[in-house]
Amino acid sequence: MPCLVTLTHAPYGSRIAKDSLDVALVLAAFEQQPAVLFVDEGVLQLLPTSQTPSSHKHIGKIISALEMYDINEIWVEQESLDLFGISEDELSQSVTVITRSNIAQLCAQYDQHLVF
Amino acid sequence: MEPRLLAGFLYMSDLNTVASPSVDPTSIASKPLTFAIVVRCGPDQQSQALSAFQFTQELLLQGYKVLRVFFYQQGVHVASKLRVMPQDEVNLTALWQQLSLEYNLELSVCIAAALQSGIVDQQESSRYELDNDNLAPQFTLMGLGQLAAASAESDRLVSFGG
Repeated sequence: MPCLVTLTHAPYGSRIAKDSLDVALVLAAFEQQPAVLFVDEGVLQLLPTSQTPSSHKHIGKIISALEMYDINEIWVEQESLDLFGISEDELSQSVTVITRSNIAQLCAQYDQHLVF
Repeated sequence: MEPRLLAGFLYMSDLNTVASPSVDPTSIASKPLTFAIVVRCGPDQQSQALSAFQFTQELLLQGYKVLRVFFYQQGVHVASKLRVMPQDEVNLTALWQQLSLEYNLELSVCIAAALQSGIVDQQESSRYELDNDNLAPQFTLMGLGQLAAASAESDRLVSFGG
């Protein structure tokens, strides 16, 4: 039963980004083959940063674990990238860019959809 | 059955019409859908947290099976037995406990989130050599894996909060 996990929160400032990535990793560990979709401020999680707020874990390390957990379907919304002026080649992971108009179609491919 | 208004915006009958194509509608009639509920909003976010409760209660009232309610992120705060509400306000902790007793409903609380929020049971309290424990009866501390399992075993996963 594949599940789509949508991440909408910026990497730091709250625990939500980390908590939601944890859910994706646990789903993968339970062989649920989740896919991950980054939208809104969530796309900022994919920026490689050299510095991390000292009280936080480096989110990039969790992001890079996605592949290790066989989460290969990583989607990023084009409009969200545009909003922050980020181009695809700046991202830390290889992702598939999808336009907003195709998101509904993407969601329909999954049995379950968790939005964080 | 006449559709009943649920939480002011959703009719229970709608839940059957959004069934995914892989589910044969005739099988729904003979075998009620299995639900898993995720609560990510804290009890201070009254309307959302209350919706989660009312939705779950309505499912059980109408004979649906609720596999598990999983409390995560801010949702774990409802599992503290030390919450005291003003007399004229709803105590969600007590409501969940009552529902759990009535329907033998499993209330799972993410252990990692709970510990970070100061929600501990006896076992964790002694493990970390704390003075006390405050997990309300009927709630159980569980790993995040129980959320993944609930997602795998249920027909519908419904998440509240965020």
